[in-house]
Amino acid sequence: MECRVLSIQSHVVRGYVGNKSAAFPLQVLGFEVDSINSVQFSNHTGYAHWKGQVLTAEELNVLYDGIKLNNVNHYDYILTGYSRDISFLETVVDIIKELKKANPSLVYVCDPVMGDQGAMYVPENLLPVYKDKVVPLADILTPNQFEAQLLTGRKINTEEDAIEVMDLLHKMGPETVVLTSTDLPSKQGDQFLVALGSQKISKVSDGTNTDQKICMDIPKIDAVFVGTGDLFAAMMLAWTHHHPKDLKTACEKTVSVMHHVIKRTITYAKMAGPGKRPTPAQLELRMVQSKADIENPAIVVEAKLLQKSSH
Amino acid sequence: MECRVLSIQSHVVRGYVGNKSASFPLQLLGFEVDSINSVQFSNHTGYSHWKGQVLTADELHVLYEGIKLNNVHHYDYVLTGYTRDTSFLEMVVDIVQELKRANPNLVSLCDSNLFPQYVPQNLYPVYKNKVVPVADIITPNQFEAEVLAVKEDLVSLLFPASYLCISYTVVITSSDLPSRLGDRFLVSLGSQRHVRPDGSRTTERVRLEVPKVDAVFVGTGDLFAAMLLAWTHHYPNDLKTACEKTFSVMHHVIQRTISYAHELAGPGRRPSPPQLELRMVQSKADIEDPAIVTEATVIS
Repeated sequence: MECRVLSIQSHVVRGYVGNKSAAFPLQVLGFEVDSINSVQFSNHTGYAHWKGQVLTAEELNVLYDGIKLNNVNHYDYILTGYSRDISFLETVVDIIKELKKANPSLVYVCDPVMGDQGAMYVPENLLPVYKDKVVPLADILTPNQFEAQLLTGRKINTEEDAIEVMDLLHKMGPETVVLTSTDLPSKQGDQFLVALGSQKISKVSDGTNTDQKICMDIPKIDAVFVGTGDLFAAMMLAWTHHHPKDLKTACEKTVSVMHHVIKRTITYAKMAGPGKRPTPAQLELRMVQSKADIENPAIVVEAKLLQKSSH
Repeated sequence: MECRVLSIQSHVVRGYVGNKSASFPLQLLGFEVDSINSVQFSNHTGYSHWKGQVLTADELHVLYEGIKLNNVHHYDYVLTGYTRDTSFLEMVVDIVQELKRANPNLVSLCDSNLFPQYVPQNLYPVYKNKVVPVADIITPNQFEAEVLAVKEDLVSLLFPASYLCISYTVVITSSDLPSRLGDRFLVSLGSQRHVRPDGSRTTERVRLEVPKVDAVFVGTGDLFAAMLLAWTHHYPNDLKTACEKTFSVMHHVIQRTISYAHELAGPGRRPSPPQLELRMVQSKADIEDPAIVTEATVIS
C-alpha cells in the first residue's frame, strides 16, 4: 500500500493528542505519515501545567515551501484537527487547495474542533472560517453534535434532525459525515450514546447508489479523555480508505478501535488506587500497548443501516 | 513492559531522521516515547532544499520545565542525537544529569555526529568533556571514536568521568578496519563494561562483519541508536545478541529501501534523496522480530 498522509496537528512531548495520537496508529496500518507540528507543548492542556511554543502561519508556510521546492507535495490524504488561530487555519486552507490542485483525488479528513457540551473552546471567530472556507474543502468531516449544530445553525433534538443536519453538511462540502457523539437517547439505555454517519457519493459512474446512513449505540465512558477525537479522525481516515464505499464497516472498525484503546486505558488508569480519580497523566491513552487492536480491531459495536433517504 | 524513553532529536515533516527515525520503531517494540523535537524541518538537509525552524536552548528548557512541573520527569532511558548548537547541547547535558538524579537507574544513549560538514568543531570538546561522561551507551563511528577517545585503542577505553555507572557500552558502528570477509564488508566493534556487585569489572567485546551498502542513507545512525537502546534493554548482559539484532534490523530496513529506491529511480539511474528515505513503515515485521543475518564474534 502506497499511501501518504499529511497531518497538520499539535505535538506534545508527553502523551497522545494531535499528531502524537494520529501518527503511530496510521503508521502501524501502513500509511506514510508526513507531520507538520502546529505547536510543541510539554503535554496537553488538561494537566496542572503546560509549557511550549506555537508555530505561526508564516512558519507553517515556510515548512510547506520546503516540501514544495523538493517537488514532494503529493499526498493522498490530509488530516487536520484542533486549531486556535485564524491566520494559521487560513494558511492551512491555502495549502489544502494547492495540494488538491497537485492531486485532484486527494481526500481531506477534517475534524472541525470547536467545542463540546454546549461550549466553544476555540475563539468564536474561527466558526466563519470553518463554515466558509474549511468545510467546503473537506471530504470527510467528523463533528460532534455541538460542532454540527454550529456549522449548520440547526439544533439536533431527534434522529430526523440529525439526518437533516448531516444532509446540510453534505451540501456544504463533505461526502462523508460522522456525528461522533450526540445527546440523542439510545434504545439501549442511558449507558449508551448515539453516533450517526452519512455517506453521499455523488460521482458514481455505473449509476449504482452507494449512499449510506448509519447509526451506532456506543457505550458511554465515565472518564474524560484527551486525544480520543484525534485518534478517531485518524482511524476514520484509515478505515474509509480500506472501505471507501462502506461507511458501516469503516465506522464499526473505527469505533471498535476506540473502544479497545479506551478500555485498556481505563484499566491501567485504575492503578491510581481504589476510590481515587486518575490524573491526566494516568489517563493518557495506552496507544503503544494497543498495537494489535489498532492493526486488526475486533468488532464490538455494530452499526445499523438507516432507511435510505430519497433525493 | 513499562519503559519510558525521552528522545531529544530533530523532527522532519517528511522522511526518517532524528525523532522520525527513532520513535516509530521504539513504539513498535512497546516503549513509551516522549519526544522533544530540537528542530522542525521540511526534510533532511541532503535534499536540494530544506526549510524550517530550530529550537533554542531556552525553549528546550521551557519544555522540560513543563514536564518537571507535572512531576512526570521520570524516564528509564534518554536518547539524544545530532545537535549543531553548543548551548543546546549543554542544556541537553543538564537535563540528562537532572533526569539521572530523579532516576539513578536511567540509561542514557548519546549518539554523536561529529562530521565537520555537519557540526562545528567547537562542539567536539563539549561532546568529549560533557556528553560522553553522562552517557551510558555511545555509538560513534570510527572518526567520532578517534575524536572522543582518550587513548589510541579504538575498542576499549572510552571511560566516563563518573565511575558510578554500572554498565558502559560502546559500539563503533563502522570502521575502515579490514574485514575477514573481504572488501564488501566493514567491521563494527562493541564493548560493554559491567561492574559486579563485588566491585570487580567484566568486559564483553564483540566484532561484526557488516555488508557494505552502495548508497548514502540518512537516518540510519538514528535508527541504529534507537534499536541498540531497545535490544540492550532486552539483553542487558549480552552485547553479542543486542548487536546481532540491531545490525540485522538495519540490514532488513536498508535492503528494503534500496530495492524500492531502485524501482522508483528506474534502471541505471541513481535514486534521489526522497526516493532513498528509509522504508520504515513497511519494515514493521522486521523491526518487531528481526531475523538474524549478521553474527557477532566475541573477542577477548
